Amino acid sequence: MKINKTAESEKKSLGVYIHIPFCIKKCNYCDFLSFEKIPEEVQNSYFLALLREINIYSEYYGNNYYVDTVFIGGGTPSLVKESHVNDLISAVRNGFDVSENAEISVESNPNTLTEIGLKTYLKSGVNRLSIGAQSCDDKLLLYMGRIHSTGDFLSNYTLARDCGFQNINTDLMFGIPGQTTGIWIDTLEKIIQLKPEHISFYSLQLEEGTRFFSMYEEGSFKETDDETDRNMYHTAVEILKSSGYVHYEISNASKDGYQCKHNLKYWSMKDYLGIGLGAHSFIDGTRSSNVSNLEQYIRIGINNSIDKTSKGLSSTFTCWQHKNTKDENISDYLITVMRKTQGIELEDFRNRFGIELKQLYGSVIQKYRNLGLIEIVENRLRFTEEGIDLSNMVLAEFV
Amino acid sequence: MNSFQQNIRNFSIIAHIDHGKSTLADRIIENTGLVSNREMKEQFLDNMDLERERGITIKLQTTRLLYKAIDGQEYIFNLIDTPGHVDFTYEVSRSLAACEGALLIVDATQGVEAQTLANVYLALDENLEILPVINKIDLASARPEETILEIEDIIGIDAHDAPLISAKEGVGIVDVLEAVVKKVPSPKGDPKGKLKALIFDSYYDNYRGVVIYTRVFDGTIKRGDIIRLMNTKKKYEITEVGVYSPGPMPVSELSAGEVGYVCASIKQVADARVGDTITLENDPATEALPGYKKVQPMVYCGIYPSEGEKYENVKDALEKLQVNDAAFLFEPETSTALGFGFRCGFLGLLHMEIIVERLEREFDLGIITTSPSVIYKVIMNDGTTEMIQNPSNLPPLITIDHIEEPIVKADIMIPKEYVGSIMEICQERRGNMLHMEYITENRVSLHYEMPLNEVIYDFFDALKSKTRGYGSLDYEFIRYEKSNLVKLDILLNRELVDAFSMIVHESKAYYRGRFVCEKLKEIIPPHQFEIPIQASVGQKVIARETVKAYRKDVLAKCYGGDISRKRKLLEKQKEGKKRMRQFGTVEVPQEAFTAVLKYDENK
Repeated sequence: MKINKTAESEKKSLGVYIHIPFCIKKCNYCDFLSFEKIPEEVQNSYFLALLREINIYSEYYGNNYYVDTVFIGGGTPSLVKESHVNDLISAVRNGFDVSENAEISVESNPNTLTEIGLKTYLKSGVNRLSIGAQSCDDKLLLYMGRIHSTGDFLSNYTLARDCGFQNINTDLMFGIPGQTTGIWIDTLEKIIQLKPEHISFYSLQLEEGTRFFSMYEEGSFKETDDETDRNMYHTAVEILKSSGYVHYEISNASKDGYQCKHNLKYWSMKDYLGIGLGAHSFIDGTRSSNVSNLEQYIRIGINNSIDKTSKGLSSTFTCWQHKNTKDENISDYLITVMRKTQGIELEDFRNRFGIELKQLYGSVIQKYRNLGLIEIVENRLRFTEEGIDLSNMVLAEFV
Repeated sequence: MNSFQQNIRNFSIIAHIDHGKSTLADRIIENTGLVSNREMKEQFLDNMDLERERGITIKLQTTRLLYKAIDGQEYIFNLIDTPGHVDFTYEVSRSLAACEGALLIVDATQGVEAQTLANVYLALDENLEILPVINKIDLASARPEETILEIEDIIGIDAHDAPLISAKEGVGIVDVLEAVVKKVPSPKGDPKGKLKALIFDSYYDNYRGVVIYTRVFDGTIKRGDIIRLMNTKKKYEITEVGVYSPGPMPVSELSAGEVGYVCASIKQVADARVGDTITLENDPATEALPGYKKVQPMVYCGIYPSEGEKYENVKDALEKLQVNDAAFLFEPETSTALGFGFRCGFLGLLHMEIIVERLEREFDLGIITTSPSVIYKVIMNDGTTEMIQNPSNLPPLITIDHIEEPIVKADIMIPKEYVGSIMEICQERRGNMLHMEYITENRVSLHYEMPLNEVIYDFFDALKSKTRGYGSLDYEFIRYEKSNLVKLDILLNRELVDAFSMIVHESKAYYRGRFVCEKLKEIIPPHQFEIPIQASVGQKVIARETVKAYRKDVLAKCYGGDISRKRKLLEKQKEGKKRMRQFGTVEVPQEAFTAVLKYDENK
């Protein structure tokens, strides 16, 4: 298709995120951009719009970027017809060079996975499956408004393995009201027995606009106290480490070599392109985000008068964009890279920004080193175990 | 008396805050035709933004107006505005001394207030002709007849022919002007006599130096005269003589009976003190005009540069303010908690608030103010006396024989339904009731003796709050009195923060200490460690609160590469941090300093 294909080696790498904002039912804690009960026709037009957006961006970036990660997230991507997922991946392959060993992930929820679906994913090149297990306690699952039981998860997990998925992530949550540390450990142990390659473990965050938040305002939602929450977190880290997982990001652990390459782009200031409703991009030092109104997004997608002459990240899907200043690049770098447990390579910082980190933030670093929140080990600046708990306090100094 | 003098009317307007003084002044100026409507800013006399915003007059303004009366003659009106607050009583009394008459404005919906009374007594002291004016008759709740009776009953002056006006609507203004012509006596004095001119205000001008507002009682003053200020005994040469009409307008001379301004290359207002008498160096008057007083600050507080603000900037600003305000004093001091700063003296709480606000707004400074304090008289064991206005400087208790505190006479006027609750708050503040009287059927005047340190703490806020704004207060210093006072210290994480120290009555120490601890607990954000907040007297801890340690401040997830969301959150957090002040290992928001002083109805 493209006349002047540059060799992959000269291109820059790009992660592609594609957002599927559909769910059977909105979970009680969820403030992500997703909608329940969207009619199939609307979903179909949404996918047409997505394909349209992929095409447009491949024309902008296909010559200069190759894709080494694709992440189809949601919402519940496993909810929609598998052919849609296949179409999206094909569109990316059509528009971009996709490296052979590219990581291609699909997010899913238990009770939505089928043998046909999973096999289609594999055929399309999906090689990483993320399953939203959240908990192995049925009472808590019900409380959170999940649409599945622990049994549903276990059978879907086994199915995925049987179909041939060799890289599976499970999402877990802790700090749920009613969850004791004992219940949490029990969930962790059950999951670890399954030997998923990757485990994400998130502390429940009470967000405005969620069912939990209205319960909170009514007084019927009692937040887990910080003490318990942190205890659960550190217990998880300990158990995961002793079970052979590498704790590589605040809320993520994996078997060696199975870190999520796509998410690592967010935490390493690498370029990524967000496709779909409300998706965020970061390319060439410019951050941008797409419109978050579903109808509007679809309308833009099916409208043929898209201005093809405009350059860069200013397609009409975009509703906000911002070219980072050097200072903003530095602070974005610090607040994202510090999420990794390995922290910042001081040399990498110097190479990127032409200045020593200590020259910029010497006194801040000293202050929090003295407080035991951060440490410098092997030329890396990173959070201590305790520092992770209070990371915002430190990161706030960098913005 | 010459015919020139006969057509001069020197008068002020006195009123309680919000009774419409500035609005009436505006109307008078409009009606005398000197200033067109177009040129007029709303409320001409209040020329500082802050004054306009607060609706009060702080600095005096004086205007010379020409009025063509119904009798066909032209009159020179010198309208001398007065500050409307108890903190500036002395300035008010001196500007009244420059007049022969005063318009007493009473709000027809509110009646006579404590401040009205205080000002009327000042005017009576100066033997002024008082012309009552009933304002706000356009309001539905106006009760002019009752107000007239109130004036006659309480003040004891005839008010049956008081003009009924609405300054806002411009109703009845001519009646006021005619009353001024007919009732305010023309000035007396000999233009050929020995010069006696009263300084009733002054301000600093970058080009002309101090500009003195003056009223000539005897003699004549003109450019080139060598003058002497009879109380400060300083000598200057007059460089300019003029009147405000409404801007400065040089004239050849000012003679007996006239009001205007003079300049004499004076460097700061403290050198030309209000109340002093100007005379000629070569032909001096034998005695000065009566009433001169060197004003003394009553209330002190520390002013410190906040985090990131330069000491020099604060110093420059304080110097600039002082040039213009003889009543405002400052000197450098050091606090272990706040570093280098200044101890500042003010006439009262309002004066303090105004200076602080001006520093923040006009000079755009970040400052921290510490608890206001009065001046304590500390009698040492060896019989010597120390005057202490900074609690941190209180000598060791063991060396002190006793401490005396200033007592004021407080006059409080309130609607009768609040008598009970106001007596209660007066009692709580160690007030001693002298007497109480019914001014009218519905209004009561309470007279108390009260320690000034109680008044400056939160009394005024409490009074306003308990009476829904209807209570008014006036107070004056009467004496020092021996009292059982202790120094209350606040410790954060076991370290004393001197900026929070205060001197309180022993009976109050526990409540105040507990209040401050509770407030600080609300205000100090959690740290990664537990922070004990303690209030102590001597070595004894009398109250304690704890800010629990922060255990969790982390975002579990970054939403699909949405860094801007996380960024915003962190920026907000950082913004909060900026307003913090570091004390040892504890970060305290700057508003903590004011919050511990605020009246809290629930406490």
